Amino acid sequence: MSLAVEAVGVRKRYTGKDGDVEAVRGVDLAIPPGQVFGFLGPNGAGKSTMVRMLTTLMTLTAGTARVAGVDVAADPHGVRRKVGVALQEAGLDPRQTGRELLVLQARLFGLSRSDASVRAQELLELVELTDAADRRIKGYSGGMKRRLDLASALVNQPEVLFLDEPTTGLDPASRVTVWDEVRRINDQGTTVFLTTQYLEEADQLCDRLAIIDGGLIVREGSPAALKADLRTRTGLAAEPTLDDVFMDATGRRRDRVAGDVQEV
Amino acid sequence: MKESFVLGNRAIREALRAPDALIPTIFIPLFFLVVNVGQTARIFPSGGTPFLAGQNYAAFQLPSSLLLSASFGSAALYLVEEIEGGYFDKLRATPIPRMAIIAGRLYAELIKTVAIAAVMVLIALPFGIRIESGILGFLVLLVLVALWAVVFSGFMQLIAIKTRSAAATQGASLVFFPLLFLTPNFVPRNLLTRPMEVAATINPVTYIMEAVRSLILYGFDWPVLGLGFLVVVVAGALMLALSVRMINHYD
Ligand SMILES: Nc1ncnc2c1ncn2[C@@H]1O[C@H](COP(=O)(O)OP(=O)(O)OP(=O)(O)O)[C@@H](O)[C@H]1O
Ligand SMILES: [Mg+2]
Repeated sequence: MSLAVEAVGVRKRYTGKDGDVEAVRGVDLAIPPGQVFGFLGPNGAGKSTMVRMLTTLMTLTAGTARVAGVDVAADPHGVRRKVGVALQEAGLDPRQTGRELLVLQARLFGLSRSDASVRAQELLELVELTDAADRRIKGYSGGMKRRLDLASALVNQPEVLFLDEPTTGLDPASRVTVWDEVRRINDQGTTVFLTTQYLEEADQLCDRLAIIDGGLIVREGSPAALKADLRTRTGLAAEPTLDDVFMDATGRRRDRVAGDVQEV
Repeated sequence: MKESFVLGNRAIREALRAPDALIPTIFIPLFFLVVNVGQTARIFPSGGTPFLAGQNYAAFQLPSSLLLSASFGSAALYLVEEIEGGYFDKLRATPIPRMAIIAGRLYAELIKTVAIAAVMVLIALPFGIRIESGILGFLVLLVLVALWAVVFSGFMQLIAIKTRSAAATQGASLVFFPLLFLTPNFVPRNLLTRPMEVAATINPVTYIMEAVRSLILYGFDWPVLGLGFLVVVVAGALMLALSVRMINHYD
């Protein structure tokens, strides 16, 4: 069985007026199907850039990537059919209703008009937006928008689901709802590639994770393995937390990122 | 192809949902029509002005107003809003030809402009304007004006995709605006001063304006009409070719 995500030597350089930024500097990934894979890193580490490349929204400067067994550069449509993506900034059309947006998205994935409305209804129930379904998105709260965005990433029943910081800005209850949802989607066989700022979230959800810093992968493994590794390397008396692993990997001082990591 | 219509119908639905956004598109051009005609009609009495072919001066001015209303480029403003807001990426993540995103908006622009131009002509009719070329000519006129709207908003969409900025896109529409006025919009080309005549002759919009005007004042003047359509078709082909290139290289 082929890997759900396979990246070899992936690089991305942004060329802009004020100089070049090398956002991703040679990343290799091998994610087997069926996992929840966590992609962690401080702000500006290159997480979103990686997600955009793997979902065909952006070209690779160098390297190759295959998602659900399809090469992103050679067959982008093939990849698009098999993946779903909810980007960091929930990009929604404020003038449509939630239902219209989902129906449109489903139709663009080739569903007939009637199949699309059935699918939209299922997804609205799934993310608990049935009450707001026929209101304009303009009036949705931030959390409702995120949930709608998640639903729209699911219209095509993707093999691999990319979620770029799906819980940022959600209240604790909504966050737990999203976690449950991710687990449920994963139980049905979908591989989930999830970026997050919350280490607690990674610890709870992810089978494996990678920590990226400055465009390079600096740690990779299961949460337990990463903690055990840190413990043996540093000879800690107590079991380290994922925070400690993150801090150790990225060289960030605890007080600086404390706000990020201690929220639940 | 099918996707273009699905996306186009959404754009039309949104336009219908915000009808107030269409008001300037109709009323600003009509305002110019009323003001321009009101100020100059006595210079151009229908009896003593051969180029009016027996109609009043408003008939001569109507094409400028129609083309003005077709040159708001609102499709591009919606598009750039979508780019800035991120919805454009959601559409790009679907397995549709990327050109469908642009083509959908162009299709909506076509339909919208046909409707708006028809309303404007219907508003003008009670003021003594006749379409000399008849019902068929009226339909040809709607098609030509709408095709111009497609071309204009298509070029504006190119700028939207290139700059990804609402401010820049809005600014660009002001750069294109002179094209509408470096035309024989007050008198026929042969009565313009020499520099204006040269400018108007170079300006492709002139030929569209003359074609629309010929339908209103003179009936079916095939060479003039043919030239008008040639201009929109050539400009349209150029716009589509550039659009395909640009959207497929959007990164
Ligand atoms: N369109 C762009 N043009 C130029 N530079 C960019 C662009 N997008 C991102 N970058 C730069 O690339 C680097 C990686 O950005 P990216 O958005 O991938 O980080 P991230 O890990 O997702 O960060 P965050 O946690 O803040 O979302 C940053 O230095 C950023 O400034
Ligand atoms: Mg990011």
